[in-house]
Amino acid sequence: MNWLRVFFVGGLTSYRALFNWISPWVFLPVLVVYPLFQTLFFAYLGRFAEVESDEFFLVGNTFVAIAVTGFFGMGNAIANERRSQTLAPVLATPASRLALFLGRALPATVTGFLVAAVSFGLGALILRVEIGAAELARLAVAVLVSSFACTAFGMCLGALGLRGRNVGLFADSISGCLLLASGANVPLERLPDWLRTIGSGVPLMHGIEAARKIAAGSSLADSGRLLLVEGAIGCVYLVAGLVLLRVFEDLGRRTATLETF
Amino acid sequence: MTRAFFSGMRIHVKQFTVNAFDLSAVLLWPILYASIAYYLLDAKNDPQLLLSASLGAAVMTMWALVVLGSSGALENQRWLGTLELLVAAPVPFAVALAPITIARGVVGAYSLVATLAWGGLLFDVPLSIEAPVAFAVAVPMSALAIGMLGLMTAATFVIYRAAFHLGVAMQYPVWIVTGLLVPLSVLPAFVGPISWFLAPTWGFRAIRDAALGGDPWTDIGVCALLTVVYFVLAATGLRIFEQLARARATLRLT
Repeated sequence: MNWLRVFFVGGLTSYRALFNWISPWVFLPVLVVYPLFQTLFFAYLGRFAEVESDEFFLVGNTFVAIAVTGFFGMGNAIANERRSQTLAPVLATPASRLALFLGRALPATVTGFLVAAVSFGLGALILRVEIGAAELARLAVAVLVSSFACTAFGMCLGALGLRGRNVGLFADSISGCLLLASGANVPLERLPDWLRTIGSGVPLMHGIEAARKIAAGSSLADSGRLLLVEGAIGCVYLVAGLVLLRVFEDLGRRTATLETF
Repeated sequence: MTRAFFSGMRIHVKQFTVNAFDLSAVLLWPILYASIAYYLLDAKNDPQLLLSASLGAAVMTMWALVVLGSSGALENQRWLGTLELLVAAPVPFAVALAPITIARGVVGAYSLVATLAWGGLLFDVPLSIEAPVAFAVAVPMSALAIGMLGLMTAATFVIYRAAFHLGVAMQYPVWIVTGLLVPLSVLPAFVGPISWFLAPTWGFRAIRDAALGGDPWTDIGVCALLTVVYFVLAATGLRIFEQLARARATLRLT
């Protein structure tokens, strides 16, 4: 019972206190305007280059928006504990670390899903991309899987926040690399092999590929393998994140660096 | 006032370049955007177009650094509790703020070197510059004009509590309407007139025309004109918004 309380109540409290973008004045520019114009930018670039359709860029950049929410939301949720000087009290509690950090991951995943929905809806409206209701429901599943994978990856970034000072810049650089390596804005066959290999080891690439298949009319079963891979990548990063949190917490305690900037 | 401006410039350029990790982002982002453009535009098989994309990606980074720098600087000052001190200083607030935004533009010029080197090494993008003198003038002039646009934008950020996030949101819209990677001909017609008022449009045209051939001096002249206009508007705006923030006691709110 206490585990569930830490998971739900602790996660929600942390989200309300540390998720920097929760205010509508911040949410709107960062999580609505930014991804929307990002989609438009690449869609117009694609039109100019005469490569792929608007739908290609709409789907790709919707997933990048998920990554930004997962990476920054989750990464900063932990790093901000340090900034607000609450990291030591949090880590001093006997609460289960699994409940503590998974509880912080859940709201970030849900936010990622919402951001993707808004970004996709507005982008589709402006670019006049039409996708059927059945495809939308299946797309929601792909978005949810990628939201989970990105949040799990964000947990690894958050763990680095126990040791490094500037997780935000690191998360920013990674999400920037994914603009290219995930195939969100460049068809995979145009990317060199080494870049595709890197992209396949992090969240998004498989999720985007699955979503594009779904948008083109394929069933969940047809794109199920890709979604399973995306989910599995998320699970690997989740475990890695939890291990890193434990290792860096111990290291921070031993070297008394938990609260240093 | 001049001393305050130049020592501010020196301090902020040093501050922005002292951290190798921060600087890595300055080099990474334009390379990423240029690479996306290379992979997409490669289909057109036009080396001039790829060089133009390199220059566009560099100017994109200049604007990103300026707008994030100016918005982030205000928020940082808020967090540090020094915004009130800067506002209360005898030097006009615009003079205290301008070095931050212009220094960002100057640091953004690094990205020009990064994208040109990246394009040349990996994508065989030609590196010939048609008018080297004009190019050498166009780059700092663009940095100055874009920095001043940042100053004008920062003037409005004074009253916005989450200034940095507004800065984040302003990157792509300006990249789109100034035609840095996507020509204005591809965009809706109403975008064209908006681009005339934005320094990245003319800065990019000046650098591109100097590199690829054209008339860069007209574009450089427009950059100079915009620099003056932006400064006057920014100084006026800062005075108004500063008074507003003082009256509402919102300078310190985080």
